[in-house]
Amino acid sequence: MKKSVLLSVAAIFFVTVAGFAQVSGKLVSTKTQVKFFSTTPAENIEANNTATVSTINTETGDVVFSVPMQSFEFEKSLMQKHFNQDKFLDTKTHPKAKLTGKITNISEINFAKDGTYNAVVEGELTIKGKTQKIREKGTLTVKGNAIEVNSVFDVTLAEYGVAFEDGKPSTNIAKTVEITIKAEYEPQGA
Amino acid sequence: MNKKKIFKIAGITAIAGILIGASVFLYMFFMPHRDVQATKTDFTLTSSEIVMEYLTDNNTANEKYLAEDGESKVLEVSGMVSKISEDFNGQKVILLKYPQDKAGVSATFTPQTNNNLKGVVVGQNITVKGVIRAGASYDEDLELYENVILDKSDLIKIN
Repeated sequence: MKKSVLLSVAAIFFVTVAGFAQVSGKLVSTKTQVKFFSTTPAENIEANNTATVSTINTETGDVVFSVPMQSFEFEKSLMQKHFNQDKFLDTKTHPKAKLTGKITNISEINFAKDGTYNAVVEGELTIKGKTQKIREKGTLTVKGNAIEVNSVFDVTLAEYGVAFEDGKPSTNIAKTVEITIKAEYEPQGA
Repeated sequence: MNKKKIFKIAGITAIAGILIGASVFLYMFFMPHRDVQATKTDFTLTSSEIVMEYLTDNNTANEKYLAEDGESKVLEVSGMVSKISEDFNGQKVILLKYPQDKAGVSATFTPQTNNNLKGVVVGQNITVKGVIRAGASYDEDLELYENVILDKSDLIKIN
């Protein structure tokens, strides 16, 4: 008698845990693209990063992007060196940039139903060790089990202490650069 | 006569100077990226060893492996293939990670080296060579261990 009660309690416990695990709602993306685009009359500069890691919590709306800064790849080797140097992004001291935020309208996104949803993210962006508040828009596309996020927003470099006082880069790099984010998610552990 | 000679020498010097200046500028401007595979390997180690180094002391490891201008150390890392995927640029990504380790080494290949992975399967022990872009660490926002990132990788051997 006692044994069967114990067993059923254990059974209920395991079923509950398994149930929670299934809807735990943490999505992870390692298939990502972060693009940096700067345009001035002198030239257009573009860099690509495919090594970013991101997570989305479908219940709380928490969003995180961790960007390895040395993974930005430029067409010209000299530009890439400038980008990494201490005067610009100082990637040796600050190897990662990070975005942490919350999708404020998470309740409007139905992860069980195919479609493209608008998402508003409020949070913080940390570049070169400096943190600023951000509020950006993006889209979240649900297609079966595949979830894709897209967003384009501007970053003003001076707000993060990234500025060239003189020399060629000061005229050839825009004060405000455009960041394009694309990420494909899958449930954690998949 | 003498004056003419001086002019001639000055002219030649000026032209040579401009040519040298222009070629240095063009060389700098169009300087090709470092060929990682042709660069001498700085460190040879296993995925467990480098992950452990990073998880023990992140700053010391960054000091050792990362370069200020982004041309960081070139590593040969051996480990067990635990995942094979592809990034948005069509480059193969190999995760070297032993089941008992908290993090691994994620090596991104290139359009030129992708094909060398033909026949490589999950579970095999392989050695790859690439340039390190970032180390391993626990990220409390992601609530995940992040892998060491290698770029411009190629397969050295199947162990």
